[in-house]
Amino acid sequence: MDADRGHPGGRVPLRELGDPDPGVRARRNSIRKARRISNWTAAALVVGTGTAAAALAHQAFPAAAPAAGTAGQAGGAGTSAGTTGASPQTASGPPVSHSVATTTASGVTVTTTTTSVNGKTVVTQVRHAPAHTDD
Amino acid sequence: MRTTAPTLTCAAPWQRVPTGDDVVAVAERAALGTSARVAVWPPGSIGVACAAVDDVLAALDQQASRFREDSELSWLYGAEGGVFMLSDGLAEAVGVALAAARWTGGRVDPTVGEALISLGYDRDFAAIDQQRGEPSGIPVPAPGWDRVRLDGPLLRLPPGVRLDLGATAKGVGSDRAVRAVMSATGPEGGVLVSLGGDIAIGGTPPRDGWPVTVAEAPDDAGPPLPQLVRLTGGAVATSSVTCRRWRRGGVILHHIVDPGTGRPTDGPWRMASVAAATCADANAAATAAIVAGPQAVSWLTGEGLPARLVGDDGEVCCLGGWPPVSGLPVPVPSGSHVYAGARPPGGAR
Repeated sequence: MDADRGHPGGRVPLRELGDPDPGVRARRNSIRKARRISNWTAAALVVGTGTAAAALAHQAFPAAAPAAGTAGQAGGAGTSAGTTGASPQTASGPPVSHSVATTTASGVTVTTTTTSVNGKTVVTQVRHAPAHTDD
Repeated sequence: MRTTAPTLTCAAPWQRVPTGDDVVAVAERAALGTSARVAVWPPGSIGVACAAVDDVLAALDQQASRFREDSELSWLYGAEGGVFMLSDGLAEAVGVALAAARWTGGRVDPTVGEALISLGYDRDFAAIDQQRGEPSGIPVPAPGWDRVRLDGPLLRLPPGVRLDLGATAKGVGSDRAVRAVMSATGPEGGVLVSLGGDIAIGGTPPRDGWPVTVAEAPDDAGPPLPQLVRLTGGAVATSSVTCRRWRRGGVILHHIVDPGTGRPTDGPWRMASVAAATCADANAAATAAIVAGPQAVSWLTGEGLPARLVGDDGEVCCLGGWPPVSGLPVPVPSGSHVYAGARPPGGAR
């Protein structure tokens, strides 16, 4: 049957794939070219967006290691495994030479008085000297 | 089932504390019957940090104070047992206390409330008549933490059981405060929060760590002489029998109670400082070490916790890599026992 139609090899060109006239061919080439440019543009946009996002993320979250064992672990799971802090970690903090706090028993005491004023509870606190020299 | 009590707030003014370093800002105020201190870098964050800590302290005081009639915990006392729907904050605090009891083998036990009251510690410490002539009441052993059931926010409390969260609440508060400050100030910088000497840190520490003094009292000059350590992560807490002492019938009492006897502990250690992943862990472990007495060394060593124990004679014993000299960092274990284990005790036994 194909031979009857004058197309050897059993191939039958679809109607649209036949040789178009020069005007149609030029239009198709233009469209093809535009698509090719669009693809490259899209790819460039994707790469650019990704690079920008990475740069922003790096600025928002510096690469310095977070303090190990911070209270952020409080809700975490697991039991003791290894230790941290045996050597100074990669910190970008400033040098601090003087003690900023004392770990101690709760020696400073405060008198707390609760009263009601205009329907609201007001708590007054008065600080006293530590009470640990009693013997 | 009962519902929670109404909330309120309280605050004392923050005072800036000069330390000699301009790169950090430090402020302190009275809170929770003791003092709260905040240190931050960059120093410009101090206002935001103090405000964040204020919110945490107000909530914790409202939830867990044994000395405020309007606190959620006091409201539980008045009900004399039952099933209660706790606020999220108190549920976490009670869960941590129960987990700490489980972890320490009952050496810290949140059911010592009645024991403390019997000994005379029935109000804010500053309001206690410290020289009363009549003897204290009969010692009341703790009913036992395993009689308390916590399922999420639902607390089942047997009649007559009074909770005291003193061995863990300040640690919980420091942990919460650090989280709150980091949330308020952003990821840049670092923070240290101390509640009554129980210290947690967050963010990026200063170079070589936060310098922290270890002493029996904030103004103590020894012996033994205070030690300075560097904290690069986690937390450190101290318990001591030399503070918060009072007298009843000529007998000197203190606030660390052996749950098994209902009496103040009488072991070989007068002070214990412990470093841990979180302040609640450190807080519980320090108190447990005092209660454990002669077993403290083996327990702390078995748990891998760096600790500094001071004996009644003033001799210092450093364990688990705690630096023997000043100026060195404290190694801090990773992972929390009390937060990870803060599940209902019924499910674990």
